[in-house]
Amino acid sequence: MTNYKVTGSVMLLAGFMSTAAQAEVVVEWWDFLGGGDGVRMKQLIDEFNAEHAGDITIQATTLEWGVPFYTKVQTSVAVGEAPDIMTYHASRIPLAVSQNVLSEITADDWATMGLGEGDFASATWDAVTIDGAQYAVPLDTHPIVLYYNKELLSAAGVLTDDGVPMGMDSLEGFTETMRALQANGVKFPLGSVTADGNFMFRTIYSLVGQQGGELISDGEFLTGDNAEKLTNALAVLQDWTNEGLQSTYTDYPATVALFTSGEAAMMINGVWEVPTMTDLNAAGNLFEWGAVELPMIFDQRATYADSHSFAIPAGDMDPETRAATLEVMSWMLKNSLFWATAGHIPAYGPVTSSAEYAAMEPNATYSPLTANMIFDPKSPLAGVAGPIFDVMSTYFVPTLNGEMDPAEAVEEIIIELNDM
Amino acid sequence: MLRNTRRETLVALVLISPFLAIYGLTFVYPTVAMVNLSFTDAPLIGPGQWVGLDNYTRLAGERRFDTAFWNTAYFVALSVIPGTFVAMVIALGVSRLTGRMQALVLALFFLPYILPVSVVYRLWDWTLNFQFGIAMYVFDIWGIERVPIFKTTTWFMPAVAFVTIWWTCGFSILLFLAGLRAIPAEIYEAASLDNTGRWTMFRRITWPLLWPVTALVTTIQLILQLKIFDQVYLFSTGGRPNDNLVLVYYIFQRAFVNNQGGRAAAIAVVLFLIVVIVSVLNFQLMRLAERRK
Repeated sequence: MTNYKVTGSVMLLAGFMSTAAQAEVVVEWWDFLGGGDGVRMKQLIDEFNAEHAGDITIQATTLEWGVPFYTKVQTSVAVGEAPDIMTYHASRIPLAVSQNVLSEITADDWATMGLGEGDFASATWDAVTIDGAQYAVPLDTHPIVLYYNKELLSAAGVLTDDGVPMGMDSLEGFTETMRALQANGVKFPLGSVTADGNFMFRTIYSLVGQQGGELISDGEFLTGDNAEKLTNALAVLQDWTNEGLQSTYTDYPATVALFTSGEAAMMINGVWEVPTMTDLNAAGNLFEWGAVELPMIFDQRATYADSHSFAIPAGDMDPETRAATLEVMSWMLKNSLFWATAGHIPAYGPVTSSAEYAAMEPNATYSPLTANMIFDPKSPLAGVAGPIFDVMSTYFVPTLNGEMDPAEAVEEIIIELNDM
Repeated sequence: MLRNTRRETLVALVLISPFLAIYGLTFVYPTVAMVNLSFTDAPLIGPGQWVGLDNYTRLAGERRFDTAFWNTAYFVALSVIPGTFVAMVIALGVSRLTGRMQALVLALFFLPYILPVSVVYRLWDWTLNFQFGIAMYVFDIWGIERVPIFKTTTWFMPAVAFVTIWWTCGFSILLFLAGLRAIPAEIYEAASLDNTGRWTMFRRITWPLLWPVTALVTTIQLILQLKIFDQVYLFSTGGRPNDNLVLVYYIFQRAFVNNQGGRAAAIAVVLFLIVVIVSVLNFQLMRLAERRK
């Protein structure tokens, strides 16, 4: 009897071992990377799979960015059908934590991955930390930058010898640069996504940050002189519209098209459009271009940034899969130099301090802005495609296109924010 | 013959039980659960605390609910009667054609109806986009100033109503055509023997005999348009969503963006009641109108 039991367990054990040796661990992966960066991510995944053949396979699915993605994550966690790993915006983490969607990345996990706080910029590390615990592993930071058409700027005499736009350190200087372009026959000195208030949040939040302003302080919206700072930011952009310096009612694809077709000389957009420019330029279909940190319109430098990070959904997960998932995250970060070709600034310090990265253009030109990055306010109401977005968008669009007074817009914004 | 009523009831019950089970599972149960949810402060997923009528009373002073309510009413006004009218006119025109020609013209009018809403959105965005829309180049040629149609509150609802009518009137046309074909040709023959003019023929014969179909079409349209969401959501992406809110959009915002399942459910219950009340009113009104004829 006993003998039989022992034999049974030995056989069972042998069975386990053989499955462990034979079976690959499949890591279910969800992301929202649909653009040029998605193509590059697929390449990274293929490389990972090739390198880990027989051990780990990533099974990747790309889903619709924004509210659809995050809703699906939430419902899938609720019914236990979540993936093993998913891309997540750092700005959405406060909301995710309040919804219990994410599994904490413990100190042991960090040790297993061979990563730690020292490997990241403090703002980035802070962005994935809630009450002292980390909920995601930052892959990159993706700020907005100023793209410019070197040929048009040079023709208008506003390109420095270093090949960057003139007047980058003051409102007057930058406005002069745009006026010079206008005088030289450029249709839109600045291509702005003026039809999409969600997108413009990034620019406007940067300008508020340049005045040291905050959106939420102590849980209250736009307290003290923060309302005035938002008004100032909107007023600057509205003045540009009134002077005909930026494109009006332009949506996202149209803005990119205005820039790449040479109708707009400059454009404020996310670094994720870098691959678009690089690929067009390589194919001989684009002028000489560059990308730099946003101009300093107010008294200090500040640029809005968010971070693509990797997160593990809450719920039961067998240790094998979790180990494999940690290996995926660790490998991705350590190989994120290639991810920089998607425009993003890798979050993993050893990559950005490497000589290879320093030689990459235009990344190296705008990388110093990492020191001036500001992230979304840490609130379940903030974050990409979060509740704040719709409120802002509703009043940004008429203001940016010169139909609403900035002060009135800010008043309305405060009323609606408090109505959420 | 003696009838075993008990047996018959039993058989009937057995026969309708699959329907009852599915209806109960997919309609009755969710509806009850939704009403329950509307009295709690539940998030999108998971249970919440009982808060009584709070979710309802706060709707009264809410700006977004106000916007959503009036926008929905405005949209219904812009789309239901005009949509029915357009469909009837087209159906009257198509019914005068015969053979292949009729089939071709009908197919052309019906074509938009088979498109998914995302394609409809793309088509009209390409047409009316402020920077690159084809219509804007036409405006330029005529010397009209470009209008950012989907970015201003003045033009948004009329434009979406127009697109909706363009998209959905194919189905109403089919219903009207069926109604027109059901009118016996003899009546028209008799009328023409009496030298009846075309307008009188329409007013005295076609219109009254088509009335049941007209009532059906407006009721279908009414319920459909009260539940408007897709077009408004797509066309206001990135624009001025909170100015363009309609009731279902507001439910979506509360539930999926703000993560407030309880408050979303309260709005859903209100919309449910509005749909019930309006459809009953509409039905009674139509019956009254029919009796007066």
